[in-house]
Order: sequence, then C-alpha cells, then structure tokens
Amino acid sequence: MTTASIDNVLLLAGLLFTIGVAGVMMRKNIFFMLLSVEIMLNAAGLAFIAAGSHWGQPDGQVMFIFILAMAAAEVSIGLSLILQIYHLHKSLDIDNLKEMNG
Amino acid sequence: MAPNDFLALLPLLILSIAAVLVMMLIVANQSHRVIQMASLFLFLTSFLSLFLIPVTLPYAIAPLLLIDSFGVYMMALIVFSALVVNIISYVYFEGKEEGPKEYYVLLFLCTLGACILAVSQHFVSLFLGLEILTIGLYALIAYLRSRQRAIEAGIKYLILAAFSSAFLLFGMALIYVQTGSMSFSLIAHSLALETDLPALFLLGIGMMMVGIGFKLAIVPFHMWAADVYQGAPLPVTAFIATASKGGVLAVTFRFLTSIDGLRFHVLSASLVVLAMVSILLGNILALQQKNLKRLLAYSSIAHFGYLLVAFVPNSPLSLPAMSFYLSAYLISTLAAFGIMAVRSDGTEEAEELASYTSLFWQSPLQASILGLAMLSLAGIPLTVGFTGKFYLLAAAIQNNYWALALVLVLGSILGIYYYLRVINSLLKGGTTTGALPKTAFPYFLVLSLVMLSLLALFILGLGVFPESLIGYLKDLQMGGTTSVY
Repeated sequence: MTTASIDNVLLLAGLLFTIGVAGVMMRKNIFFMLLSVEIMLNAAGLAFIAAGSHWGQPDGQVMFIFILAMAAAEVSIGLSLILQIYHLHKSLDIDNLKEMNG
Repeated sequence: MAPNDFLALLPLLILSIAAVLVMMLIVANQSHRVIQMASLFLFLTSFLSLFLIPVTLPYAIAPLLLIDSFGVYMMALIVFSALVVNIISYVYFEGKEEGPKEYYVLLFLCTLGACILAVSQHFVSLFLGLEILTIGLYALIAYLRSRQRAIEAGIKYLILAAFSSAFLLFGMALIYVQTGSMSFSLIAHSLALETDLPALFLLGIGMMMVGIGFKLAIVPFHMWAADVYQGAPLPVTAFIATASKGGVLAVTFRFLTSIDGLRFHVLSASLVVLAMVSILLGNILALQQKNLKRLLAYSSIAHFGYLLVAFVPNSPLSLPAMSFYLSAYLISTLAAFGIMAVRSDGTEEAEELASYTSLFWQSPLQASILGLAMLSLAGIPLTVGFTGKFYLLAAAIQNNYWALALVLVLGSILGIYYYLRVINSLLKGGTTTGALPKTAFPYFLVLSLVMLSLLALFILGLGVFPESLIGYLKDLQMGGTTSVY
C-alpha cells in the first residue's frame, strides 16, 4: 500500500488555499467570495489532517471537525446577510456596497 | 475534570450560563428593562468572581487553558468593558426598530469568546475562543438589519474575518506539521534548540500574523476597520474596539512570549515594521476625518501600533507596560463611545464631529467626559494615557529600540492635532446643531452617565496616581505550570 507523502498533501492544500485567496480577491459576487473563503478553510482543514496523520495523533482530525462546525456557523450567518443584501440592493455585486467611503 | 477546575473556570461558566439565562428571560417575554438589569447583574457577578477565584494561580486546565494572574487581569478588563457596553446599550437600543433583547445573548457569548482567548494556551482553545467571539460579532454588527450601513459593515466584516481566520488556521496547521504539537509550551519546547526559525515554521507564523493582524486591524490589514466601526451600532463598535481587540492582543502576547519568538530576528524586525507603519498611517489617516467613529477607528489602529511597541522589546517592563496601556486605552475609548451612544437618538447616531459643536455650553458633564477621553487618548499629562505612553517609552528604551521610541513620539504629536480638534469643537461658542438631550429613559441615562463619570475619574485618578496599578501590574505572572500532554 502506498501512502501519500506529507509534502504532496501540503502542496495540494497550499494550492487549494491559493485558489481560495484568488477567488476572494477577484470575484465581485459576494456569494462566490463566501464560497472561496470556504475553499480556504477546507484547505486549512486538509493541512491539519495531513499533519495529524504525519505525527500519528488524532489532534488534526479534531481540529478539522472544529473547522467544519465553525464554517457551517459562519455560512449560515453569511447567507442570511446575503439574503438581506439582495433584499435591499437587488444585486450581489460587492461594488454596490460602498455607501460608506472605504 | 477535577472539582477545582470548575472553581477556576467560574467566571467563564457564569458568562456561558448567563447567555442561557437571558435566552430564558426572552422566552418568558420579559421587558427590555428586566433583561438589561439581569444582564448587568450577571456581568457584575462574573466580574466579581474573577477576584474570588478560590484556587492558587497559575492554575492549568491541561491542555487547553492556563489561568494565571495575567489572564485574570485581561479577563477583568474584557468583562469590565462588556459591562460598560451593556450599560450604554439600553439608552442606545430603546426606541430602535429592532427588538434589542437577543443582543444581550450575543454580547455574553462574545465576551465569553474574548475571555477564553485571554487564558488559552493551545491552538484549539485559541481557535474556539476566536470563533465564538467573531461569529457573535457578525450578528451584532448587522444587528439593525434594516439599515444598509449595518448590513454592509456586517458582510465586509464577515468576509474579511473568515478570510483572516483561514490564514490563521493554515498557519497553525503548518506550525503543527513542523513541531508535532499545538500547545504553546510544547511548541516552545521543540523550538528551544533552534537558532534560526525552520522555513515551514516561519511560513506558518507569518500566516498567523496575517490572521491576527486582521483581527487587531494593524496596517496593512486595517482596511475593514473604518467601515465596520462606522456601520456597526455604537455599543457594538465600542465592544469591537475594546473587548474583542483586547482578547486577541492578550493571546498574541501570550503566544509570542511563551514560544520566546521575539529572540528570532525575523519576527521582531517584522513586528517593529508593523508597529511603525500602524502608528504613522493610523495617525495620518485620522487627521482629516470629520466622522468621530471613523476618527476613533483610525486612532485605534495607531493605538495598537503603540501597544506593539510595548511587547516587541521583550524587556521586563513589557508586560506591565502593555497591560497598563491597554487599560488606559480601554477606559478612554469606552468613555468616548459611551458619550456618543448617550447622545444618539432613535434614528441617527451622533457620529459627525459637527454635532458636537459647543456641546460644552449645553451639557458640561458630557462634554467634559468626552474631552477627558480625547486628552487621554492623545496622551496629555495628568491623564492615564500619558502615564501609559511613558511606560511604553520606558519599555522600548530599556532594550534600545530607539527607532520605535522615536516613531511613538512622532505619532503622538500627529495625534494631538486631531484629538484637540474634537475638543476645540466641543468648546466652540454659538448654537448647537446636534440632537437635543434625551429625557425619555431618565434612570438608564443617569446610570450611563454615572458609569461614564466613573470612567472619567479613572482617567484622571490613574493619571495622577498610577503607582498602585503599576505596582499591581508588575506582579502579574504569565505562564507557570507547564502542561503535560
């Protein structure tokens, strides 16, 4: 049985993380920005699992479950805010949200 | 868990039980007034229980938490800030379109998260505390959900906070890969023999710094601060500026000190740079602000630069200097936001500088408190802010960080300009354009003003006689019993 080496898994996690960062930076739609943040969080989770199996400890997987729970809580608030934004603006473009000059 | 663990955790347990109790009160359909009084009582109980922790400190609840005198002091600051925020919330939220009751549940949860941060010594508790705090804050910021600005601030904070949490987590994962442990003391143990940081560890701690930089709003991760401060309801802004940032600062300080990270040149040099840009840019951006909330946002960026000045030199004075300055900052900021909340009415917030013109002739008490808070933030002698800055300088110079000390002084000089501008408009003669003073909720208005006057007394008292607090802070201990995992 061959096992994936830690370097390869970390590389994959890093790649996923970069995709997520690029998504948050380049997308204008809030929905897709939230999606990209989820990809970043899952990349971090993957890195934790790789680290946990590298050291033969359950800690990595424990952390992943916490990350899952946190991501779910965050998405539920995020989606309700997005609904409210759509209600107020009839659009999900982040550029429409600049009532405050920032 | 041993019975003693529950005793040591009493303040945190009270906060979590309080959230449930307030929820029960909401179900029982109690009035805003009852809920406000109940949560005031619960905050007070939690605050007092901090001084009555009946176990010997430091007390480790292995592997996650370590309750030491530094942690207890930080928790005291956080719960005290939440208490003040709680008091000013009644006057602010009564008469708003949104039912304010669930607000108190979220306030308890956010306080709990910040307190967990202050005593955590493990990545898991750091992460949990941080997320309890931030997820509560998303809802609090967007609490007045029919207002466009609140929603805009809420979604901006949500995206950026989650983005920075992902950086923090990835950084933690890389450090875990390198060291094989997530507890601060074991990470320190595996680093003890290194003279240079391993590449993976350096990458990890760099990503963690990005995450923490976002939460503390230090330059260059400060973009969200002004908008979120402006869009959030005033008491929530006060909470973000004080309790939430205080908790994150405490855990950053604990992490960097317990792994002794500042002996690595890369880390201390990059923190020096971050501190310098935060001080300069924060003060420069604040110069032209006409909105008091945005002004305080930029000023808080600068103040967290000052706080970094305390802990980068890693001298024996670092811990007392940082704790003292943080206390000074919290007291002054709370007083300023408190006055703004008291002067806001049902539809509009008193956030424009113009609405404070000639306030002194209309309401001398409120104007004096706001003026004192500004003087203290500017660091004028006889206020607590001056003494705080003095200790920061002492901490920086003790280990020969002259450049940092110079930037600190330069930043303070810049700061005086815009703080005095606020005082200038308070004293200006002529008719006021601001809102009329409120008379609708006399008891709570009086309670808020008494609390804010108490803060003003603290500003003056600790400015003139700082010895007692300094003496107490010098005895603060961080760390102690090492956890075995």
